Amino acid sequence: MNVGEIALVYAYMLATNFLESLLVLCIPIALSLILPSKWFRDSFVAHGASLVMLGLGYLIFLAYQFPTKNSYPGALLKLWSIALALGIILLLDFIAGRTAFIKKAVEFIAEQATIFLFVYMPLSLISLLIVLPRIL
Amino acid sequence: MSKLSRRDFLKMTSALSGVLALSRLMPSLSLPKSTQSLSRPNILIIVFDAMSAKNLSVYGYKRNTSPNLERFAERATVYNAHYSAGTFTVPGTASLLTGLYPWTHRAINEAGLIARNVTDRNVFRLMGKQYHRLAFSQNLWPNYFFGQFQEDIDEILPAGSFSQMDYVFGEKFNKDVLTTQRAFDDFLFRRDTPPKSLIVSLAERIFLRRAIAHTNQGGYPNGLPQLNDYPLYFRLPTVFDGVMSTIKSLKPASFSYFHFFPPHDPYNPSKHFYRTFDDGWSPVKKPIHPLGDRWPSKRMYNFRRAYDEYIATLDIEFGRLLDFLESTGVFETSYVVVTSDHGEMLERGEQGHTSPLLYEPGIRIPLMISYPGQKSRQDVYSPTISVDVVPTLAHLTGNPIPDWREGELLPLMGGQELPNRSIFMLYALKNPAYSQLSRVTLAMRKGNYKLIFYRGYYYEGDKFELYDLQNDPEELNDLYSSNSSIAKPLQEELLAKLEAVNAPYKS
Repeated sequence: MNVGEIALVYAYMLATNFLESLLVLCIPIALSLILPSKWFRDSFVAHGASLVMLGLGYLIFLAYQFPTKNSYPGALLKLWSIALALGIILLLDFIAGRTAFIKKAVEFIAEQATIFLFVYMPLSLISLLIVLPRIL
Repeated sequence: MSKLSRRDFLKMTSALSGVLALSRLMPSLSLPKSTQSLSRPNILIIVFDAMSAKNLSVYGYKRNTSPNLERFAERATVYNAHYSAGTFTVPGTASLLTGLYPWTHRAINEAGLIARNVTDRNVFRLMGKQYHRLAFSQNLWPNYFFGQFQEDIDEILPAGSFSQMDYVFGEKFNKDVLTTQRAFDDFLFRRDTPPKSLIVSLAERIFLRRAIAHTNQGGYPNGLPQLNDYPLYFRLPTVFDGVMSTIKSLKPASFSYFHFFPPHDPYNPSKHFYRTFDDGWSPVKKPIHPLGDRWPSKRMYNFRRAYDEYIATLDIEFGRLLDFLESTGVFETSYVVVTSDHGEMLERGEQGHTSPLLYEPGIRIPLMISYPGQKSRQDVYSPTISVDVVPTLAHLTGNPIPDWREGELLPLMGGQELPNRSIFMLYALKNPAYSQLSRVTLAMRKGNYKLIFYRGYYYEGDKFELYDLQNDPEELNDLYSSNSSIAKPLQEELLAKLEAVNAPYKS
């Protein structure tokens, strides 16, 4: 493959990941609109960041339950199991918003993670601009 | 000057037309007799992935795995010592389609591509625009090559054609199939690794596995036949029905390449053959090789049994295809080529084919060619190799034999038996594609002898093995140390070849 083709492969992957990120972002935004502002919106950074980190952690855990071609973590994909995981995530998120030092730590991490925004946003937008005309 | 009479004119015309007719016949004198009247015969190539000649009853295997291939052999030229230049799909198919050795086309790694400077050397281009050129491969990796050859192929059928379940993502992007197969199927959604994209690929896995669970697996006790690394599931009768209807729709002159995934693992025989070969039989016991998987003998027994049953399952469908080709008269107008891209190791503790072990089961493959109208069997016993197929097809279709060819014309198809020629088989999966071959296994067959050379395996070191295939077809007695008068010249030739192919990559 030449450099252009390799870049195009990355463009598809980055565009997909960008769309996924937007999807993930929609969750805290939706919660901040639905829930009373005191519960979520007033400490959006701490709540949003902890929710996203915990949620992605759970997804990574789930993803690694598919290590081989035929593995299927049936018990983890049962409704009660998913509900339990979501309940724990929401509880931890609630605690994160209420405990000063955790809140501070989460806000610090969120602040530091902003650097990725500056790296990934332009790359993702360029990728999207490359990919969209090719598939539409 | 005397006047030209009407009689003289007629005589001259008939003589001239006779000369012209004879001159047209000249280049085809070495073609099989019945094809000389066909200016442009159809070519039908059928490739069965990972089919070892050592496990086929048509090549003398103890179990009756291939009665329909035997039936085909009765009207074909059977090559009894045919080899694949590579040990897995990428190098094996690349050599079959280009007529080049792996060190030239450089498609030597998993999901590798053919070097850009040689992509114009392919069988589709050689056939020329006078042929309708069609390509279909269930295995995704040859599809990468089709992408590289797309200017030379008139019709490419997607890998998921005729399948029950097709979760291959790249094919959904018509304009960018090759790129999106790389991005999605090879990186984001590859089945044998945890998903690289959290939401989409996780959802894909959950829904795919659910779909599989709800699909009727009836008829296949081990599960539906499937690709090993990509989520594509199929029933063999459906695939063969699809291929038959495709062949039926082809207008002459056609060149069609059909690459079936079975009997590649996972071995999923139909219930008709499931446990048919659970007969307690095992071939001669061979020592465990240090570079192999070191599977215990019980496991090896089960691998072999399932593989043989899968071949028998495939053979039944091939029988239906054979009936179809006979009833539709395809055999009268076409060369029908049946072969494989590589073999399958099921001995010395090794199962599979991405293997550094170049023993006969891994590299000896079937090759049978039926020429138009052929009614009886012919046998060739001298060694031949997959790179011979491209120049032979060029010759059979009246195209010029390319000067870049690395193989010879196949015996009885325009070529001669060359019992003492040297042919080479290479495994270089872990070697970078564009550097010297320094972590490889290279085998050379010359006459009755086969020399195997291992280089770059840190726990094995550089090592040679020599076998006399005529007296020791199971490769049990390594003659390298005891027979230096034979080993030495072969070793010198093999090392000289390695030196020559490495020369362009020396800094």
